[in-house]
Amino acid sequence: MEVEVSRSGGLAGLRLTWTVEVEDQPDPEEWVLLVERLPWSETPPAPPEPDRYTYRIRCEPHEATLAERQVTGPWRDLVDRVRDVAEPSRGRPNADGRAAPSRAPGPVTETDAPPAE
Amino acid sequence: MPQPPAPRDPRAVVFARARARAGIVPPYLLLRIAAAEEYYDVAAEAARRSLLRDEPMRELRLGGAHPGLLPHEHTRSTTEREGAATGAGAATEAAAPTDAERVPEAGTAEPVLAEPAPDRRVSDAEGAESLPGRLARVEGQPATGDAAVDQAYDGLGEVWALFERVYGRDAIDGEGSPLEATVHFGDRYDNAFWDGERMVFGDGDGEVFRGFTQSLSVIGHELAHGVTEMTARLRYRDQSGALNEHVSDVFGALTEQYAMGQDADAATWLIGEGIFTELVQGRALRSMLEPGTAYDDDVLGRDPQPAHLRDYIVTDADNGGVHLNSGIPNRAFALAAVEVGGFAWEHVGRVWYDTLTGGTLRPNDGFAVFATATLAAARDRYGEGSREVRAVANGWDAVGVEPE
Ligand SMILES: [Zn+2]
Repeated sequence: MEVEVSRSGGLAGLRLTWTVEVEDQPDPEEWVLLVERLPWSETPPAPPEPDRYTYRIRCEPHEATLAERQVTGPWRDLVDRVRDVAEPSRGRPNADGRAAPSRAPGPVTETDAPPAE
Repeated sequence: MPQPPAPRDPRAVVFARARARAGIVPPYLLLRIAAAEEYYDVAAEAARRSLLRDEPMRELRLGGAHPGLLPHEHTRSTTEREGAATGAGAATEAAAPTDAERVPEAGTAEPVLAEPAPDRRVSDAEGAESLPGRLARVEGQPATGDAAVDQAYDGLGEVWALFERVYGRDAIDGEGSPLEATVHFGDRYDNAFWDGERMVFGDGDGEVFRGFTQSLSVIGHELAHGVTEMTARLRYRDQSGALNEHVSDVFGALTEQYAMGQDADAATWLIGEGIFTELVQGRALRSMLEPGTAYDDDVLGRDPQPAHLRDYIVTDADNGGVHLNSGIPNRAFALAAVEVGGFAWEHVGRVWYDTLTGGTLRPNDGFAVFATATLAAARDRYGEGSREVRAVANGWDAVGVEPE
């Protein structure tokens, strides 16, 4: 099971994506519980605030797009966890909205981050 | 926290002098003079004060010099200086009536005229993500010594001066509403934003970004989001969103140019200069004149902004690429400003302000409609066949946007 958190927007327009392979974590059961408890279907569209971040969170078959202001409670727990264990990869967005891989600033969790060009 | 005396960038001093002399000294010469001037000296201070007497605030901020923390403030108190610089003359009590916070220095300034004055309120989130935070500095109070608080306070004064002195707009709503900012938002928070009521600034992570109050163009950018929200209300998505971003970059850049007395040739046309750490290979977040060239870094990659409509980026992220595709209108504006020459806020900036506030734009308008509106505004103000109209038309043409 893979959890992907992608943050776009912000004043700088820089996109960051963190990916975690849950099976590789020391506490996969906790991850599964956390993911299953998320209110995936209860994320109403929020009016965009200039220069704030937008988060897209994916874990098959789920996907949610949240304004930064909506990333609270269990969503915030998940995002903080993902950021704690994974280094972000950066890249410009492509047409499908996925980050193109680029070199990450530190060790990359290799599951979804092919080497830089 | 005590700060060492901040040496001013000598270029700023020379630019100020050049402006005092009506800008006749060529830039290459200015730079040579500048090389000989190590510090902000007494003569420069005198020149600056004379500028401030009848000119808008020109706190020439390069390289992180904070007006509130400058040396050589021996002749006037900070409060008086701020008051004079913004044309307030004083009257801080009247401007900030019912706040729980007292204004200690208010009594020392003599009310003179009821001229418009900014009403700034800077709060400190103290590393939390709750707004507004603790009120840290209100209009008329002296520098706090907290660099972010004081940079936000001074920067808001400069943006206010551009809108009020040049365009006759008193604050965001045009009616002198308070200018509110929160600094130290979040833990190493890598961003600045407009939440609908206030500007919010993070401190940066220290690896990629320094604090976001370091850049006057960023402060102007955020405040301009408020102006757009009050006027054209461009929807923050796709082309209208890229225009919303573009308008903020325009008035962010103009704030910096106005504060530094820079003409279109001397201007950097950079947004967010100085907010990257020295570890980053890059000059700024964006270049209005040359989109796509602001940075090229191993970690961040290359500045992805397109400079022409044929390279428009279609994406779901970033509200449809609003921070990317703004490069296209940004370049049109900068090219037009350079073509006209002189001070951009006086001509092309005015055309853009007229466009934004003229009441013809609709929230979903895209590039072509916006371009048409700028041409109409240029014609209204400068006349058919004026060089301003030509320059604006050439700007849009150069980026592939055809007015409707
Ligand atoms: Zn913006």
